[in-house]
Amino acid sequence: MEQILVNGAILAANYALIALGITLIFSIMNVLNFAHGQMFMFGGLIVYWTVAQLGLPYAVGLAMAAVAVGLIGMAFEVFFFRRVMRDSTREENTMLLAVGTALLLENAALSLFGEKQRGIPPIVTGVYRIGDAFLPANRALVFGISLVLIVAILLFVTYSKTGRAMRALAQDRTATLLMGVDTARISTLGFGLGAALAGIAGGLLITVSGVNAGIGTAISTKAFIMIMIGGAGVVSGALLGAVALGFIEAFGYAYLPGSLTYLMIFVALILFLLIRPQGIMGKPWG
Amino acid sequence: MSTRYFEARDLTVSYDKVAAIRDVSIGFDEGQVVALIGANGAGKSTTLRAITGLKRPGRGEIWFEGERIDQIAPAKLVERGIAMVPEGRRVFPHMSVRDNLLMGAHTREDKAGVASDLERILTRFPRLRERLRQNAGTLSGGEQEMLVIGRALMTKPRLLLLDEPSLGLAPLVVRDIARLILEINRDEGVSVILVEQNSRMALRISQYAYVLETGRIGLEGASAELIDNAHVRALYLGG
Repeated sequence: MEQILVNGAILAANYALIALGITLIFSIMNVLNFAHGQMFMFGGLIVYWTVAQLGLPYAVGLAMAAVAVGLIGMAFEVFFFRRVMRDSTREENTMLLAVGTALLLENAALSLFGEKQRGIPPIVTGVYRIGDAFLPANRALVFGISLVLIVAILLFVTYSKTGRAMRALAQDRTATLLMGVDTARISTLGFGLGAALAGIAGGLLITVSGVNAGIGTAISTKAFIMIMIGGAGVVSGALLGAVALGFIEAFGYAYLPGSLTYLMIFVALILFLLIRPQGIMGKPWG
Repeated sequence: MSTRYFEARDLTVSYDKVAAIRDVSIGFDEGQVVALIGANGAGKSTTLRAITGLKRPGRGEIWFEGERIDQIAPAKLVERGIAMVPEGRRVFPHMSVRDNLLMGAHTREDKAGVASDLERILTRFPRLRERLRQNAGTLSGGEQEMLVIGRALMTKPRLLLLDEPSLGLAPLVVRDIARLILEINRDEGVSVILVEQNSRMALRISQYAYVLETGRIGLEGASAELIDNAHVRALYLGG
């Protein structure tokens, strides 16, 4: 039992980075980032490249993953999303564009890194014991870094001037413009930050389970599940969704045959959405 | 060139090739309260949107403090001293009253000035001080109107544009808001363009007024005289 809780907490912390990133992009840009899983995957592969191939320290690899994927996100916003949003009259256009960017990243990863599962050895070795549960030091490190980042993001969004402008933009674009905010710049930053979080999450997870070029869609699906549970566009909802999915998954893997867990999660999600379509923390639509 | 403090000359704004306003010209001197009144759809809000750059005029010029401003991006106008309070209040609902006010200071770097302005605004609006940590979405309509006016004042404007501040408010609250607009104009030396469907209130607190009729200025004059004008009385003041 303790082991399941420990596993759940580690998953939840990693998922929270994913959910926070997709929520940032969704609330600021009103774009559902279908490429979020691919950004995660790219972050993992960049860490693999810098650590396993270039032989650089893990910290450098993780920073590279954050910066590179963040820049990819910013470039997507400036060159693709901004233009499509300006010229299109339908919201579906940005969705299709997001799916396109997912394919773009996936194929870029296939060309650059191939289709093999890539991993790097644990950063730290050793195992802690908590009660009856075992906690490998590497997973503890991943958990710790995730927690620190989550707190840092929450502090940034809550207390910094730029973070406040991001929240304002998510709530009322015109009113934000009237406050003299450079909304284009804030949108680019928001997209970049959301993407960087996905990259970091991937860069952390590669030390635990490895990644491959095709993992993106599965991760995106998990991200969508989390924001559906928690409520789209709400930070508290993202965190709640991550905690819920992390623990459900940990319990599922412990008590159910492997492939059954996600089947059960989807069935439960459909039933849940029938009762509460806006998620736990979300506002009812319309 | 323009010699007046504020001047909009021959503004024409079209939506999908249909003109919403045509050849609208307004002008006034520093420190005045000017009203734009008229029926729903007469073009009052469009005129304001043209002034703030939210909708570019197809034709015409806008001058403020001796400089032409009709090509400047809306966000940059804030730094030029023009603040707009949009129709329907538009607070940031999931943000505290304090954060809403601080959003008004977004472009300002003078930390001490921001702190003292925040204090001054909270003294002017004691209700906002009581609700400082509360989310703006939980405020009453009148409190939200005070908040958006306070938020606009945090930008340190010299010209304040108010779009239908009385909309949906109870008569007593409208009176409070009217008094506040006058006080702000008097105490802070801020010029005001007031767009209102509540013509009576607008004519009472303004010195000069323009009456918009289907996209054109049908009538203009000193507000005190317009109140007594038979045409205005019949059409906009309920006889």
